[in-house]
Formats: sequence, C-alpha cells, structure tokens
Amino acid sequence: MDSLDIDQRPAKKRRFFVEDSPEPERTLSSTASPLNDALSTANTTPQETPLEPSSSQTDLSIHNGTNRKGSDASTGFDMEMFESFVGDKVALATFNKLREVSGDNMERAINMYLDGSWANATVPQAPDSSSPSITGTFKSRFPEQVYQQHRTEERRSSSTTDAGRTLESMPDYRYVGAFGVGAWATRSGAGLIKMGEAIKIERTKIKAPTKLGRGGKAIQTNAARMRGDVIVRFTNSRGEEVGRLPKETANWVSALMDQKVCRFDGVCFLAPIRIRINDTIELQLRCSLLRRAFEAGGFQKPEDNRTTGFFEEKETSDEKNLRLRQVAMVKLFDEVNLHPTTVNDTTARHKRQGILQAAEIAEQYDKEKENKKPKPTQDSKSTQAGNSTPPEAEEEEEGKELEQDQLDSLYKKAQSFDFDTPTREPADTFVMDLRKYQKQALHWMVSKEKDEKSDNKEVSMHPLWEEYAWPAKDMDDKDVPSVANQKSFYVNPYSGELSLDFPAQEQHCLGGILADEMGLGKTIEMLSLMHSHRSDISMQASEAGPSSVANLPRLPKNSSSVEPAPSTTLVVAPMSLLAQWESESVKASKPGTLKAMVYYGSEKVANLQNLCCEANAASAPNLIITSYGVVLSEFNQVAARGGDRGSHGGLFSLDFFRVILDEAHFIKNRQSKTAKACYEINAQHRWVLTGTPIVNRLEDLFSLVRFLRVEPWSNFSFWKTFITVPFESKDFLRALDVVQTVLEPLVMRRTKDMKTPDGEALVPLPPRTIEIEELELSKHEREVYDYIFTRAKRTFNATMEAGTLLKSYTTIFAQILRLRQSCCHPVLTRNKAIAAEEEEAAAASDVANGLADDMDLQELIERFTSDSEAGEQDITNKFGAHVLQEIQSQANNECPICAEEPMIEPAVTGCWHSACKKCLSDYIEHQKEKHALPLCFNCREPINQRDIFEVIHHDNEDDDDLYNASQPGQASTPPRITLRRIGSSSSAKIAALISHLKALRLTNPGTKSVVFSQFTSFLDLISPALTQANIPFLRFDGAMTQKARAAVLLDFAASPTKKNGHGMVLLLSLRAGGVGLNLTAAKRVFMMDPWWSFAVEAQAIDRVHRMGQESAVKVVRFVIAGSIEGRMLRIQERKKFIASSLGMMSEEEKKMQRIEDIKELLT
Amino acid sequence: MAALPKRIVKETERLMAEPHVVPGISAVPHEDNLRYFDVKIHGPSQSPYEAGIFKLELFLPDDYPMTPPKIRFLTKIYHPNIDKLGRICLDVLKSNWSPALQIRTILLSIQALLGAPNPDDPLANDVAQRWKEDEPAAIQTAREWTRQYAKA
Repeated sequence: MDSLDIDQRPAKKRRFFVEDSPEPERTLSSTASPLNDALSTANTTPQETPLEPSSSQTDLSIHNGTNRKGSDASTGFDMEMFESFVGDKVALATFNKLREVSGDNMERAINMYLDGSWANATVPQAPDSSSPSITGTFKSRFPEQVYQQHRTEERRSSSTTDAGRTLESMPDYRYVGAFGVGAWATRSGAGLIKMGEAIKIERTKIKAPTKLGRGGKAIQTNAARMRGDVIVRFTNSRGEEVGRLPKETANWVSALMDQKVCRFDGVCFLAPIRIRINDTIELQLRCSLLRRAFEAGGFQKPEDNRTTGFFEEKETSDEKNLRLRQVAMVKLFDEVNLHPTTVNDTTARHKRQGILQAAEIAEQYDKEKENKKPKPTQDSKSTQAGNSTPPEAEEEEEGKELEQDQLDSLYKKAQSFDFDTPTREPADTFVMDLRKYQKQALHWMVSKEKDEKSDNKEVSMHPLWEEYAWPAKDMDDKDVPSVANQKSFYVNPYSGELSLDFPAQEQHCLGGILADEMGLGKTIEMLSLMHSHRSDISMQASEAGPSSVANLPRLPKNSSSVEPAPSTTLVVAPMSLLAQWESESVKASKPGTLKAMVYYGSEKVANLQNLCCEANAASAPNLIITSYGVVLSEFNQVAARGGDRGSHGGLFSLDFFRVILDEAHFIKNRQSKTAKACYEINAQHRWVLTGTPIVNRLEDLFSLVRFLRVEPWSNFSFWKTFITVPFESKDFLRALDVVQTVLEPLVMRRTKDMKTPDGEALVPLPPRTIEIEELELSKHEREVYDYIFTRAKRTFNATMEAGTLLKSYTTIFAQILRLRQSCCHPVLTRNKAIAAEEEEAAAASDVANGLADDMDLQELIERFTSDSEAGEQDITNKFGAHVLQEIQSQANNECPICAEEPMIEPAVTGCWHSACKKCLSDYIEHQKEKHALPLCFNCREPINQRDIFEVIHHDNEDDDDLYNASQPGQASTPPRITLRRIGSSSSAKIAALISHLKALRLTNPGTKSVVFSQFTSFLDLISPALTQANIPFLRFDGAMTQKARAAVLLDFAASPTKKNGHGMVLLLSLRAGGVGLNLTAAKRVFMMDPWWSFAVEAQAIDRVHRMGQESAVKVVRFVIAGSIEGRMLRIQERKKFIASSLGMMSEEEKKMQRIEDIKELLT
Repeated sequence: MAALPKRIVKETERLMAEPHVVPGISAVPHEDNLRYFDVKIHGPSQSPYEAGIFKLELFLPDDYPMTPPKIRFLTKIYHPNIDKLGRICLDVLKSNWSPALQIRTILLSIQALLGAPNPDDPLANDVAQRWKEDEPAAIQTAREWTRQYAKA
C-alpha cells in the first residue's frame, strides 16, 4: 500500500479497503465467539491486555500498523478542529494554504464537511510518517529569539497574579498532539462511518456490568476487581455510536477525560464500508489540553499544603486519582510524541519509564490490598478517617522493615566519605580543637548553608516539573493557533499536575543531615558551625556590641507575623541532653562570644519573639536549647489558636537562622505529633543530627527529608512512588539507588571504624573490650528461678495445647519478664510470683493483690484493719497490725546486738524482733556454726530463715519500674516501709558486681564505673549493697527531674577519687541513660541484665566509649548460666527480637515470630 | 587490738553513767584493756549475802556479743551454783545467751542468782548437797563467808 497512491486516488483507496476488509472479517468470524469473550472480559478486567493472544487480532494489529502509517499523511479531520479553534475565517485561510502546501487527501475531508472549493488542489507529498508533520499554514507569530526572550520573562514573573492572567489568555483548550488508534466497532451495518468523517469521542458510563456480556454470555470475571469502567466510545457525525476505543488506549483516555484534563476529537480515516461488529476502524485522535486542567483549584499542590501548615499528609482517594492521571499523562505525551524541552537535573536521572512502572506497581499493590480487605471495614474506616483509604494508610504505618544487611549496604553507599575533602578552620571565637574530619564537616556544612554551588542567581525550575513547548504545528503540518505569551506549558509527571506558569524551584535546602556515628562529636561540629557561619545581621550586631546606646533595640510591636531571628540557632534535643548542650557550648566558646539559653520548663522566657527578633540582634541569644516536649507543647498551643504563630511569642513565632534537631530519630515517625511539630519550625538553615538516619525503615529517612524541606523528596507521593513502592515490591536495589541519590547530597556520615588512607582510625578511640561473665545462681536463687520457670513453661505448654498461645501472650511475656528479673534478684519477682499463681486473676486483681515488688507495710496494715484477705500468709496469719506498726518505730531504735542507733539496714525476724541486718545474719551464722538451732536473740523462738525480712524505708520518690507504677504516691502518709526477705538480699549478680568493684579498687584505684540495668527496682537493690561495701555511688533514672539529672552527671564527672580508693559508681537505668549522655569519665561498664536487642546495650556502652574517652574501656555483661538470659543472647545473635514482633511485621509473621521466640526461651 | 566495737563503747558508757540506776552493781573497765571489767555486786537484801560486796572479773571475748562475756567471782562465796574457782552456773551465760543481753543484764541475773540459789542445778556439789540436807546451816555458812570475805 502506497500512501501516494491513496492520496492521488482516494476512490481507489476506498475500494482497496473494501477489498481488504473481508480478510480480517473472515478470520474474525471464525474466531468470533472467543474474541467476543475476550473483549468482554477485557472490558471488565482492566488489568488484562485485550485481544493480544488471539491470532486474528495479530493480523488486525499488523493491519493497523500499516494503516496508522497512512493516517499521518491522509487525515484531515483536524479541519474541524481548526474551526472550533479559530473560527471560520481563519479556517478558510488555513485551508487555502493547506491546499497549496500539503494537498493530501484531507481535501476529501474538507469536501465532505465544508465547501468543495478546497478539493481542487492535489499536490501530493510524502510526509514523515513517524512524527507530526512540520509545515503549516500559520506562521509562527514569534520568531525563535522572541520566544526565548519570552520564556525568560515568564520565568521571572511567576507570581500568582501572573498566573491568573496567563490562564485567562489561554483558550478553552489547546492542541497538544495527535495519535492514531485502531478502534473496534460495536455495531454492524453499512454507511455507519465514512473515511474522513469526524467522530466524537464520548465517555458514557455503562449502566450495569452485565451489559458487557454481549451475545448472551454471562460475565464470570470478578466484579470486585473492576476499578470502574474505562470504556470510551466514539460516535459518527450523526451522533450514532459506532464503536469503542481499544482497551489499552481507553484506559488512559478515560482518565484524562474524566478528570477533565483533555478533550479528544477524532476523524476516521479507515473503515470498511460494511462494518461488522469487532471490525477495526482506524481513527486519528487529536488531543487538546483543557484550560481548566491548568486551573489551580482543581488540584491542591501538596507543597502548598505543607507550607501552609498544620495538616496531615496521607494518601487520599484524591491521590489515587492523581496517580491515574499521572499515568495517563505520561502515556499521552508518549503517544503524541511530545518531549519535554526542559527537565530538571534531579528528575532527569529517573527515567520517566520509572514513573509508569512505579505507578502501575502501586496500583496493583493497592488493588491486591483491596482485594484482601473486606469492603465493609474499608468503608467504615474511611468514614471515620475522613480522608484516607485505610489500606494505604495502614501500609504506610507499617512500612517494611529493613533487614540488617540491607541497612548495611544502604549505609555503605551513603557513607562514601572522601578523606581529601577540603577542611575549614573554625572561627577564632571557637576555642576547642577540631580533628581533621571535623574541620571537613565544618567545611561541608558551611558550604551547604551558603549553597556555594549555586552562585548564579538564575531561578531554576522546580525539580518535579518538566517544560513542554506547545506544538506549533499539528500533525498535518498546519500551524496551530498560538497564544500570546504562552509558548510552553509545564507538567509535573509525578503528580499529573499541569501549569502554564514557570514552576520556580523553591528555596534550596540550606542544611542537611549530619549522621556521623555516635561519639564522633556531632555536637562539637555543630557548635563550630554556629561560630563560623553567622548571619550578616548577627555579625554586625556583635561588632557593634550590645552596650552601644544608639543600638538600643527597638522591640517590634507584638506582631502577629513570624519574625526573623537572625542571630539565633535553635537546638531541639531530648531532655536529657539539654544540660550537656549548654555546658558544651560554654566550653567551646570564648567567654561572651556565644550566648546560650535553655528554653525549658519554668526557665522559659515570656516572649521569645521580642528577645530574638532582628531589632534585638545584639543581645539575642545565639543558641536556644529546647526539648522535643517543649516544641510539641508549643505546637499544640499554636494549633489551638488556629495556627496563629506570631502572637504566641514562642518558638513558632520566629524564623530562626538555623535549627538543629539532635537525636533526630525522635521524629522518625512522620505521623507523630512531635515530627509534625518539628516540620513547622521555621528556619533558614535546617539540620538534623542522628547516628541512625534510618532506624529500621525507609520512611524514617522521609521524615528527616521532610523536616529539611528537600525538594522533591519532601513530597510524600513522590517519595512513595520512587522509594516505598519499589522497595515493598521487592525492587530493593532500585529503591536503594534512589535513596542513595537522596542521601548523597544531604548526608555526611562517618563511622568510628573508618580508616584514613594511611590506615589510621578516624577517631583514635581507646580499645573497648566486652566480656560476658557467666554467673551461677545460688541455691536459693535457683529455687526461685526454677519455680518460675516451671510455671511459665507449664502455662506455655497449656496454652500451646489449647491453641490460645497468642491470647495469653502477655501473660507468658509477663512470666518471662519475671524469669529475667529472677536472674537479677529473686526479690524482684517475689510478689509478682504470688500474684501469678492466681493465673485466672485479672490484671486489676493483680494490682489489688500487690503486684508490686515489695510487700508494702502500709498496705498490710490496711489489710488488717479492714480484715481483708491476706496477701502474704506467713506474716499476716501470725501477727496483728500493731506489730507491723511497731516495726516502723523499732527500726528507728538501737540495734540490740551492735547498739547502732538507728539500726543499719534494719531487719526483722519472723517473730518481729528487729536488729541490724548484718547483726542478725551474723548471729544466725554464729549459731549455725555451733550446730545449734538458730533462735531469736530476743525471745529465743526458733528462727525460720525464710522469715527474715529486711526493712526498707522508701522516700516517697516515684519508682518508674513497670510494675511499681501503679502504686499511688503517698505524700502525706509516713514513709513507706517494705519488707524483703533477707535470705535473698543479695544475689549472684550483685555479689559479682561488688567483687568486681572491690577488685577494681585494688588494681585501679579511683576508676569510675557505670552500672546499667533495665530494672530500676534492681538498681534499688544494688544501692544498699554498694553502701554496705562502702562504695560511693550516684543514680540516674527516668524518674528524676531534669535538674537532678544534670546535677548527677556533673557530680559524676567531677567527683574526685575517693580516699578509700573507690571510684564513683553511677547507677543508670538502661532506658533513661541509653541515649545521648556523655559518660566518658567512666572506664568500666557493667551491664547487669541483657536486653532483647544488643543494639540497645551497645548504645548504652557507647555513652562511655565515645569521643573524649581516653582510656581503654572494659565492659562486663553479667549473664546467669543456664538461664533464660543465655537464650536471650542467642536471640540477640539471630537479630530477631521480640520487641520487633510487637508491631512491625505483618500479623502472620508476628504470630510466627512470637511463638518461635517463646519456644526458644522456654525450652 | 582492733577498735572497740560500738556496742561495747555504748555499754561501758552507760554502765559508767548510771551507777545509781541499778543499785548494787558496778563494772569498771581496765584502762589498758577496755574489754576487761572489774565488777562489784552487792549481795541482795534478805539473802545470806546481804551486806556483802562481791568482786567479779568480766571479760568480753572478741566475738562478743555473739558469745557471752566470761565472768567469774573473785570473792569467795558459798553458793550452790558458784564453784570455788568463782565460776558461775547460769543459763544465760551458756546456752541461753543472746546477743540482746548485755553486761548490765548479766550482772543483774547474777545478783538475782545470789538471791535465789538453785541447788537442783549445782556447780559446787558439796554446797548443793548441804543446801538440800540442812538449808539453815548452809545459809549460816554463807552468811559467815560473806562476813569473812565480802566485807565492804
């Protein structure tokens, strides 16, 4: 078939087609019914590729191919377009010129629809079949130069007012391109449609899916999987339906039409005279973008949302539409062969194909999710959530956890640190010495803040957008009417947004992520940055000096706007680190060069805005240190005022020079309120400090990026498209690549074990040795342990048999906790064990029965007076309340044995006679040595050794142990006294600890040590043992106030070597002391009990083994031999830990994991 | 010698401070050995030992108060529970010792023992024998010994 031939002799061409058409018809008829089936299924199930497998279809498509080639040359339906575009008069001129230049068979079309006068000219031309033709009747109104000029103008003027104007000047719709498509007939008959006839493209919703089952065939396809119909029909000029677009095309055409992005007009250029159902009709579709697609109101830009504030970013149902639209647009531009003229460098790296792929994966993914979820729950959930579709929301929350090796490789790529990067000397107001790598960090940070790369002030395009030129010619090489000032349009292929205005790149991210490993001195590096890069205003202010009268600050009127704070850096850190930041900042600065202020609790200034604003630059604090809690609470206050930042006068009323989030993994959950609050802090330079930018899922990183406002990655749908979705669909490497490109410009990360090219360690930290010391339980302790173990195992087996393991999971878990506690000290478990015997008892009655660690005397007394049932049989059965009361006073008396007054660690016999604990036990020992029955020193009753109790006075301090939390504070009542069995007053671990410390006194007098335990109640037991051994100690736990903590840390660092040779010991709860603290004064670490994940312990150890540590650090981990602790170590090694199974894996995995772990622990 | 335990210090202080609170008993430590006491006990009234002042020596062993003090009459005394070497048969000084007992309470026990001889649990067998067979004669002898050896 020769196009020339067709052009010259259209009649013959028609005949040719008549001859030609029976062939496909024959094949069609032979396979008619399966084809019909295929068609109808194709309609109902969008995922299937329609018709491809059938042999007849292959014939057809080959046929289509040739036809399509002809279409470029022969179509003339765009005439109609011209009419509607420019009106009749212009059209006439167009057609005249057309006739002269192209003269293809479009004239026939003109003849059919318009005046016959156009038909005369028949100048044949062989057009380029693969791309739209170039020549046209309209001369471009703008020569190329003008166009360029105009473009730059456009760039400069991209304000909203302009946007209005440019939008107004745009016609209702504007041509972007054309493409051919082989549609199929849904009707049969002669003369339905003629070649060259203009057709209308319609989107009529089908009424019911059954209608699709033509030919009486019922549709068996899964109706639930239908995503809504995508059928696009076309009608002839008389408005009669002729057929439909093929599935593949209809998929995206329908999306564009439904979302009012495009309009399509068509012309038929090849159709059989007698049409039968399923015949192929070749169409050419012209596509024009509608004006309203550019209207901003249609879609809210996510960026806008973010900057305007307090909102939740979730995947909404709108998002789904966006995704459809996104795919459709990419396909459209692909079909019409329109390529962007300008693409941002960032996005150019990612092939557009990636978008399609990702979006389709996402679609499929969602679909699968939907299929899994029963519909009703979805509905109910979405009504309560209001704006989110539950499957997605859920999926986002859960995210997939990174395997350790994945994380490793991620970091390996991220931390490719070049040791030759330039260094920078800190400003002379900074008095600390920086190591080389720290100076390199300083250089990097300063250059990030000054953004030295982009010296050229040219506004660059927003990285998410692409620029497209409006085609000047249509597919017939005719000029398309151009619009003044509109040479190009802009597309955001990631969101499917369109714009006529130049989308300017918003402010660059003038900050980054400093992810040096813990102990490399992130704080110092940041402080050097504060000294070395100050704002101009701040520099002037500090030169002028605050004393100058002329510079007396004029305070701004209490403005409701956000004021700049050009001198101030805001540091947000966990509460425990506030004091450290303050002291480090003082240490690092020449006196008077850096004003630091802690903004916390009662020390908060009334109006931060007045203090820090520009007018007050000279006396404003250079450094404000606050906690995440403060940020959150002020955020809530501001939110309660409807987002009125200015008048609040707090953190949110200022635009800081710099904001730094320390331990930034605090905001790793982007849904958390704290994270949202932090996003809203305004600052020119934004930094996050964290040793672990990714804790266990990729979304952790998103939150940081979001805080940093890094375009385009701070757009969650963009992030999701390129990172979450590929990662979750097992395309890990691709996601990894992308994450790497995100991280590379943002992150500086060095690790402790990095080596310089000369093989030296980055930070020559002294060596650290960790040894595990296995201890044997004493007979008594072993009894307790075995008892609890047997019972836990019994419970486990029983529930295992009953299949209710997961239901009673918490019960078993509680018993495992008791087991672990009994490894530390049997006392920790004592009353819990009693409570556990009543396995049926609910948690509430547990509390009533004294789940608390210790037997509470006050409680016992109350029980007697109220004559309620006894909790502790031995004691309560024998004695009356007055005895118990007496103990309280006795304990203050003189010890009858050693005459100490009051008694040292008073203890009580079963017959309620008090003496010092040591005296009493010595006396019992003494009698036993004489092989005599131990008798009471007072009444000579035989002493039951189980019934010797230690009397413990409690100050009314709060105990933050999990199980003691329920005890109410008793401020007005006398000091609480509790009894503990003396037989268990010491445990294997405590004894080992004491002997270590005593040995340390001999070998290394004055060495300070840190003792970690996760049970604060265990620390309670260690304290008296230390007292007894005359070892000085301090204590730091979660119940202490910020001030008390700071004081303890100071004491510990400053405490001199004691004269008896014992170094100070710091007792720390693992939870309170695991993060951030600097305990380099210590050289020994004792881990009293293993945690589920060694990472947590390692973090704690690193408090001591970090920058500033000058001696070798020795770590001793105490583990009870042949106990659950050993199994915990095995689990640690397998890197599976129960904590993870409590909320991060899928439900199924969790169940399996739990059972596995429990089995491991209890066998 | 190790430092004196607090208990001994306290007991000593109290013994010195309140001689009149417990009439008829005194205990004074030696200056060169604070664990060694010179003890004087007045014979209880209405007993054969009335008006006598008996000297005893008292020594606190190293493991006092786990073990009882060692105590012995220096003054000759005619008593069924005290032998001629001055050793005393008293349960609280043996099996019934308790660290809750003190020098003062022990001395009171001894004083009480003087007032209530117990010939059924004798230490000086001959004295006990006589006490059982001819109590008035035994008491007479005790009086005489008191006059003779325990003169104030």
